Amino acid sequence: MELEDVPGQLVKALEPISRYGGNIQSIMHQREKKTPLGRLPVMLIFEIGERARLNRILAALRAMGVRIVRIGEREGAVRTTVLLIGHIIHTDVRDTIDRLNALKGVMVSDLSLAMGAPGQESAARMTIMADDEKHKNLVISSMRRIADRKDLLMITSLEAE
Amino acid sequence: MRIMLVGFGNLGRGLSRAFIQKAGFLRKAHGLIPRVVAAVDEFGAVIDEKGLNLTKLLRATEKAGTVAAYKGGKRGKRALQVIEEVEADVVYELTLTNIKTGEPGLTHIKRAMRAGKHVITSNKGPLVVAFRELDSLAKRCGVEFRYSASVGGAVPVVGLAKKLLAGNEIREIRGVLNGTTNYILTRMSKEGVPFEVVLREAQELGIAEKDPTLDIEGIDTACKITILANSLLGMNARLKEVKRAGITRVRPEAIRLAQEVGCTIKLIGIAKRGSLEVGPKLVPLGHPLAVGGTLNAVTFKLDLAREISITGFGAGPKETSSSLLGDLIDIHRTLGG
Repeated sequence: MELEDVPGQLVKALEPISRYGGNIQSIMHQREKKTPLGRLPVMLIFEIGERARLNRILAALRAMGVRIVRIGEREGAVRTTVLLIGHIIHTDVRDTIDRLNALKGVMVSDLSLAMGAPGQESAARMTIMADDEKHKNLVISSMRRIADRKDLLMITSLEAE
Repeated sequence: MRIMLVGFGNLGRGLSRAFIQKAGFLRKAHGLIPRVVAAVDEFGAVIDEKGLNLTKLLRATEKAGTVAAYKGGKRGKRALQVIEEVEADVVYELTLTNIKTGEPGLTHIKRAMRAGKHVITSNKGPLVVAFRELDSLAKRCGVEFRYSASVGGAVPVVGLAKKLLAGNEIREIRGVLNGTTNYILTRMSKEGVPFEVVLREAQELGIAEKDPTLDIEGIDTACKITILANSLLGMNARLKEVKRAGITRVRPEAIRLAQEVGCTIKLIGIAKRGSLEVGPKLVPLGHPLAVGGTLNAVTFKLDLAREISITGFGAGPKETSSSLLGDLIDIHRTLGG
């Protein structure tokens, strides 16, 4: 969606999502990519139980002047969290994410990084959305190959495999 | 019952103390009178077919460092000789674990079985190296073979699965099976202290060995997973088939990232047919395997009961004597005692 570039807009836009029971998973706020009209593009990912509530959220956003540019839906999507430990930046974290996003039905929806002291290993937490269980297993095994090649320790969730 | 103790380290001594402390209980509740007719360690042996006085045996050993210091004991007397020469019903094999060769425990166990003696062991080495061989040798020789103390310390992992869950098909076993690494991970998660610092602290407290490799590289857990796969899942697995990662690369920052999403990091062993694995995993806080300190925990996935989890102390001479004594009572009952 696109927001006016004035203070408080993002918080306002999030309000209807929580009001109708949406569970926000990630927010990508790209300040450096202003639109020609000077609006700010924001990508939001949230989970919601029913379509009726999704429609109410969209209506509320439109009513407050938020421009919704694109909507992608994934029904029955599954989420999984994975930790990586190693030289995450030096082994090109961008490339790691691009490779995962290149898979069909899969998206890295969140990344948190904890840098180690200089020369030490870092840790990263990735949240991955997959269309279904099959795609989740696919992304986990492809991530394992990437981790092996980049000498990263991969820690999956106990329920993930 | 006439009992032979092969190995008289922490576990042998812990068991002897339990025999002393619980003599009245064993007699009254189980009709069992354990009579230790021989004790052997690496320096020598002591034999008395009328039964050794365990209080004196403990005192003599504490003072001189060997059971041979007991009155009538012989320095240089070897375990194999004693196993063959002395009449006994049950041999406790409690020597140190060697996961490469299984020795000397492996030979001790085989000789004891061939001599018609029942065997109880805590020793992972022989079980990792030759589980199938020992299991079938016991059957061929018509003797009982128990190894509850080899996995989980006091936690009755094997007994629960083999006896009380016997009506189920076990689909998967997963667990926190190493108290040392669990202590390290717990301290790191509570205090944010680096791995190396917690490891040193654990060594000072006697929770970690001077050479902690077996624990922190996940090898000890892999041994236990191998034993569980063979004894409970009917597999014929080898230690090297276990896919393994240890905890040496886990840092407090990684645990913090896990905590931010309501999880913690535990070293988990997983056994299911076709896949044996040990490695750090994200475990939700409040999950049955998210146990703290030196605790062990095991979850069985079953066709009927769905899931059963147990938790308890995975090490320590007193705690482990619970399993060692349980095995003896179990054999006593099996034999109609």
